[in-house]
Amino acid sequence: MPTLETKNLTHIFPDGTIAIQNISLQVKPGEFLIIAGANGSGKTVLIRHLNGLFTPTKGTVLLDGKAITANIVEARKKIGLVFQDSDSQIVGQTVAEDVAFGPENLKLPPHEIDTITKRVLEITNLTALSTQNPHVLSGGQKRKLAIAGVLAMRPEIILFDEPFTGLDYPGVISILKQIINLHKTGHTIILVTHELEKVLAHADRLAILHKGQLMEIGTPKEVILHSKHYGIRMPLKNNEEIHLMTWLE
Amino acid sequence: MIKNTSTPNLRITVYCALFTALIIVGGYISIPIPIGPVPIALADFFVMLAGLFLGFKYGLISTTLYLVLGAIGLPVFAGGTAGLAVLFGPTGGFLFGYLFMVAFIGFISDKMKPAIPTYLLSLIVGNILLYSIGVPWLRIVMHFNWAEAFAVGFVPFIAGIVIKIAVAVTLSHKLLPPFKRTHAFSSMQQIDGGDE
Amino acid sequence: MAGITFFHYIHKNTILHKMDCRLKLLCLILLSLSAGFATKWLHYFVIICIITLAIIIARLPIAALLKDMKFFAIIILIVFISNAFTIPGEQIPNFPISNVSIQGITAGLRFAGRLIIILMICTAITGTTSLMALKNAIEWLLRPIPFIPEVRIATIINLTFVLIPLIFDNYVEIISAQKSRCIQLNKNPIRRIRLITLPLLSQSLRRADEIAYAMESRCYSETRSSYIHKTNKIDWIILGTCLMILIFALFL
Repeated sequence: MPTLETKNLTHIFPDGTIAIQNISLQVKPGEFLIIAGANGSGKTVLIRHLNGLFTPTKGTVLLDGKAITANIVEARKKIGLVFQDSDSQIVGQTVAEDVAFGPENLKLPPHEIDTITKRVLEITNLTALSTQNPHVLSGGQKRKLAIAGVLAMRPEIILFDEPFTGLDYPGVISILKQIINLHKTGHTIILVTHELEKVLAHADRLAILHKGQLMEIGTPKEVILHSKHYGIRMPLKNNEEIHLMTWLE
Repeated sequence: MIKNTSTPNLRITVYCALFTALIIVGGYISIPIPIGPVPIALADFFVMLAGLFLGFKYGLISTTLYLVLGAIGLPVFAGGTAGLAVLFGPTGGFLFGYLFMVAFIGFISDKMKPAIPTYLLSLIVGNILLYSIGVPWLRIVMHFNWAEAFAVGFVPFIAGIVIKIAVAVTLSHKLLPPFKRTHAFSSMQQIDGGDE
Repeated sequence: MAGITFFHYIHKNTILHKMDCRLKLLCLILLSLSAGFATKWLHYFVIICIITLAIIIARLPIAALLKDMKFFAIIILIVFISNAFTIPGEQIPNFPISNVSIQGITAGLRFAGRLIIILMICTAITGTTSLMALKNAIEWLLRPIPFIPEVRIATIINLTFVLIPLIFDNYVEIISAQKSRCIQLNKNPIRRIRLITLPLLSQSLRRADEIAYAMESRCYSETRSSYIHKTNKIDWIILGTCLMILIFALFL
């Protein structure tokens, strides 16, 4: 049974623009799914629907077979969303305070919040920075903090919206490692990007979004051959293989 | 922009914080103008916009918070000053005047449909309120006569006031109708009926 | 953040740093009132001594603080001079400048004394209190006031501190981009201010939208784990001292 599923999901803006249209998608537990698409293809709208932030014009989003709107808090606990712009996501005055923001919303007792915060900071290698003001962190560290804030909710599914945007080389490497580790520890990963060459080798499946429609979905090998028709850079040279499409050594 | 499920409380909470922050940053921005000796600072400009965008209640909360933060010692008043000393010093009347200005502009913005004459009228009256508190206060604290008080506390700012009102009107003309349509307006109705 | 420190908090481990922030804010109010009610020179002297002691106990960098006060020194001087010249009263015998009255000088000194005291109190408080503690204390103090959901106020304060550096960076970026395209050649002040504030405001509104979504995605609610305030004996002794100063200024 899929853990997360959309049925005929359609979103039309008030001015009549169609953002996404009839998207039906199933995500299996423990899967690593990449959704690729050019700018304006509806990626961000789709991923926000998966977190229940938008109300669909038509269609539904199901979590473990039930509509996510049925218990939206429970759904958001299970499905974490890492925003494209870390600055918009960070609300704490210190690194540790920001990580604690989610658990505080869930009204966990203070000592439990403490334990979770410490553990999550360790996982993301931010312990040394825990009393720092987030504004002084580097781009890569901010992105890590955004991930830490989501992990503190102990999600099963993590959504990443363009996680590599604006990061330098070491930044990309450290975020990529983090994502792969999260996948290894049993999280379901859904990652939206147009930079396939950095990450595709690690994905189980690839979906292509073009002008609001789901054009292809399947194993990376099946799908990649078509990707350049949809405004995504074809990273493969003649004899290269998909397993080379990663920035990790 | 986008139809959303966001709780109206949360959005308006963030907008309040946004305008408090804009007022504070506005105090640090100074733009020289060719006419008049005093450079333009933008704190009062963003107080006007807080009234127009947030309305009476939330505009007032936003501006009050600005004064409270300054009163307890955060360097948020013009030029990085702070504290009760400033609040009750010679220019304190202008700071308290912000409250009356934002309250009036916000009240009009709540009641009237967005339109250029409305903005213009509410901004002009709002500024008259501001200076009719600030100037007498200055006169009393400094033991000025009226001519001196106006010469120090009003005349140097006239050009700035006109410019700021003009910009505030064009800005509101462009940004306010879509802003009210998409979130703030409908959500504020909900809040006012709902949570108290 | 463009070299501006918005807050002069200096992390140290003194009794004033550890003091419960709610009581600290109460002390601020009590001492400000004392300064307002002080009439005799002895009052001013005692209050200034006590606050100086507090600043020394808190081990705040006095030299740096004095530097920050240059601006206030000018204000205080202006107020003093304007008082001295404009309040009518007896002339000082053998004083070279006429128009200066004894009453005027006394009133000016009083006003200056009050400003100096309040300035020192604020320095002592902000130097020893972190933003987080301040936010929690304001939330607590607002609890008894009806019609204001105090959690919402605390959230607004917190978000304000998050937004200030973001808006400031945004402003610097807008300005630099325009300078690189020779904005200074445009002499129309209305256009210039509009060119700065329009992108600043529209980008800030969009940023606010994003923050609201991100907070919602992390299950923001106004019933949340609340901060636990702790007070100790020393805190109450300090508060008691402030109360005694107020009584002293009022009645003695």
